[in-house]
Amino acid sequence: MLVTRTQRIGFSLYAGLVLLVFYFPLLCIIVASLSKRRFFSFPYPSEQITFKWYQDALNSPQIAEFFGISLRIAGLTAFFSVLIGFFAALAYARYRWRGRQTFQRLVLLPLFFPQSVLGLALLMWFNFLHITPAWWTAVIGHTVWITPITTLIISIQAYGLDDALEEAARDLGASRWQILRKITLPLLLPGMISATCFAVLLSWGNFALSLFTTGADSALPEWLYARMTTGYQPLVPAVGVLSVLGAMLLVIVLFTVVAWNQRRTRRLTAAPE
Amino acid sequence: MKTSAPVPAPSADASGSSLFGALAALPFGALMLFGFVAPLLCVVWFGFMPPKTFALLQAPTLANYVTIFQQTYFKSILWSLGLAGLTVVCLLVICYPLAFALAKIFRGGASFVTYAIATSLFVSENIRLFGWVIGFMKNGVVGGTLATLFDAQVDSLLYNIPVIVLGMVYVYLPFMLFPLALGIKMVPDQVREAAFDLGASRWQVFRKVDLPLSLPGVLIGSLLVFVLSAGAIAEAKILGGQKVVTIAADIESEFTYAQNWPLGSALSTLFIGLTTVVVFVALARFDLEKLLGKKRD
Amino acid sequence: MAASDSPSAAPILDVVGVTKRFGTFTAVDAVNFGVRDGEFFTLVGPSGSGKTTLLRMLVGMEKPTSGEIRLRGKVINDLPPNQRPTCMVFQSLALFPHLSVGKNVEFPLEIRGQSSGERRTRAWELLKLLHLDPHRYYDKNIAQCSGGERQRVALARALAYDPEILFFDEPLSALDARLRKLLQKELKDIQRGTKKTFCYVTHSLEEAMVMSDRVAILRAGGIEQIGRPDEIYASPKNAFVAEFMGEVNLLPVTGGGDSTGAWDTGRKTLALALPAPLAAGVQKKLLIRPESLRFLRPGEVAGNRVPVRILNEFSLGSRIQYHVEVAPGHTLTVERLREERTTATEAELGWELADSQLLDA
Repeated sequence: MLVTRTQRIGFSLYAGLVLLVFYFPLLCIIVASLSKRRFFSFPYPSEQITFKWYQDALNSPQIAEFFGISLRIAGLTAFFSVLIGFFAALAYARYRWRGRQTFQRLVLLPLFFPQSVLGLALLMWFNFLHITPAWWTAVIGHTVWITPITTLIISIQAYGLDDALEEAARDLGASRWQILRKITLPLLLPGMISATCFAVLLSWGNFALSLFTTGADSALPEWLYARMTTGYQPLVPAVGVLSVLGAMLLVIVLFTVVAWNQRRTRRLTAAPE
Repeated sequence: MKTSAPVPAPSADASGSSLFGALAALPFGALMLFGFVAPLLCVVWFGFMPPKTFALLQAPTLANYVTIFQQTYFKSILWSLGLAGLTVVCLLVICYPLAFALAKIFRGGASFVTYAIATSLFVSENIRLFGWVIGFMKNGVVGGTLATLFDAQVDSLLYNIPVIVLGMVYVYLPFMLFPLALGIKMVPDQVREAAFDLGASRWQVFRKVDLPLSLPGVLIGSLLVFVLSAGAIAEAKILGGQKVVTIAADIESEFTYAQNWPLGSALSTLFIGLTTVVVFVALARFDLEKLLGKKRD
Repeated sequence: MAASDSPSAAPILDVVGVTKRFGTFTAVDAVNFGVRDGEFFTLVGPSGSGKTTLLRMLVGMEKPTSGEIRLRGKVINDLPPNQRPTCMVFQSLALFPHLSVGKNVEFPLEIRGQSSGERRTRAWELLKLLHLDPHRYYDKNIAQCSGGERQRVALARALAYDPEILFFDEPLSALDARLRKLLQKELKDIQRGTKKTFCYVTHSLEEAMVMSDRVAILRAGGIEQIGRPDEIYASPKNAFVAEFMGEVNLLPVTGGGDSTGAWDTGRKTLALALPAPLAAGVQKKLLIRPESLRFLRPGEVAGNRVPVRILNEFSLGSRIQYHVEVAPGHTLTVERLREERTTATEAELGWELADSQLLDA
């Protein structure tokens, strides 16, 4: 397509501006988290830069517990949502069956749903079932909301697969189960990995669902919300930054494990004798 | 499919796909039944229970709905829908050029911008909103900068309606941007070029080619943003103070401070009903599968 | 086809009255044929003729609505593809992108539970058979292979399955002409070398003619003609088969009761001598190949002669093709050697009766 230089520059400037505004709040938080004073005011002299709040946050057993709960919720949510999402994606994109179109329409419904209302609904439902909400009930809530997303991500990959690959495997004598294990699963693995990342991160940052479904336990975003609405506390930005760093760390760990695993399997297949 | 013949899609009988499809959908179905459908039915049912009770097995009553229409809850519903509509409009204007650039103009830069924006999705909404608080509060980053540079005294910029809209626009930007970019990507370059070649102006190409062909993206993005921002709670609370009470906030307070679960449920039911109508009307008009790119069956 | 029938060529695959319907649409309509042990059999048809649906039934990916598919006398209609001793090379080849060349070839052996040593030995043999140096290709990524190499890997993988019949769903159609010719020859050689039964599906009659022992021509879900390529070329059963073989002239003629017929071109009606008697009022097509038509010198004798106007000429290398007009809207194609080139605009076109055939429309 014909794009002039001025157009490219104009659009680039616009994109830069949007990104700048987009990252402005995060910059603000980092700036605030390093300020020594109990009541933040900008600008502050450089001698007031401190890591005290980070130290406080890292030394706080209470905050460590919130981290732990968030981590547990995120881990289990990712596991369940990718597991269920894998099969749902097969039903969504691979197999032809009678209810397929209806299924495709309904899959996304929970996404189009206000999370806070879903959280409340779950709260009442658990109450009706005489289940006391705790961190693991939040796993259910998160899984309900995140599984449609993992399903969609894996489906997109599943759509890209040539039908003939599975047919060929079948033609070469493979059973259903062998096809799933040797062909479909390895080919959908990249999609499942990105689905896992999405699930971990979305669960980690989720607030609206956690608010109503964690019961007495409290996930990190809830703690932050409670402090934010009651006024400024210097610990809040520090914990916020830590939470973002935690999310990044999670993804990096995940990718490293996957990359290591892939290299290992490649080495194994490369040396058959 | 493999044949270019006008043969309908091969039937599933030979491979037993039919059974496996239903089987594969089963775990998802069970999850949704337990974690989505049942809770919603629970909410709807609870809305018909007598006010200020916590038991589900009582004689149904319409008392809560009477209360809703007698009091001023319609105000918060209107606020929520109004703010959501405003957010959609703002985001369409902001995102369309960017999405266009992502889909048609940038090459390597497109994935950078995409990653930069997608990454933010993973930072808790609260944290990002709180960044605006630090930016806009009295002696915040914006105020402080203006004071140092121009010696202008700026009071807190928080707690008003434009800031709430800013917060929503900010939080839901990715939900508009990505569907839009997908939609615009589906517009074939050659069709645009042909339109230019046939003498259409830039504006005419936009009106007659880009917009109609990217409509699925526009619709999905708008719908997502509308529903999500209509149910938003944090923006109005963190950035708006108590300036505006949204319907989600109303519902929340019925459940927490007021301890009136039936009234909260009735409000939720009403709200769910409203958004469902919007979603279904819009979704009935097009096929999501088209947006995903593969036309089969 | 009677000539090629011999007791040793027993059918390995029998297709009896096989029909496939999708709703109200009949894709394959009561098809009958047999494939003989060790032959190269090709199903040819234009798109929409039902050849892919037929093939999918033969390999087990679709079930016939009615009729029987028999392999060595045993009905296999309900046998799923993974339990059939047959195997297919897909149009897209369907090579597994996450496996190396060697692992692709070994796949059916792995499924069968062979040890890795056995598998490797067999894969090594097959790669050699297909002119792929195992040292270089065994560990190669599928994505790094060229189109021709992929074809060979797909064939090696199918051979590793050791099928009784090997099916092909026009795997060569995506290649350029030169490579396609080369692989056609190789495919034929491998079929002869391995003595396997090959059943090939294609839309190109030319491809079918090059490789096949026998060809079946499909139209609209039914078989029009089965026979050796030379038989079909020499005596096409009807106008469809003749037209499918390439550029031919088919003149609609109405019988005059004896060996004469009339060609109504709208403006005028031409009286033609026919190679066989045609009952009065019966309509048939008169087939004349472009190379059988010639421009007559003054006084030259011919079985039929028609005045024409030469519209344009195209060079085909050693030959020249002419488009000539008999009457407005009625053109014929003539092919002559370059030495016989004419520059005239009006000419007399002639052909011998023996070079023309009467076909059903």
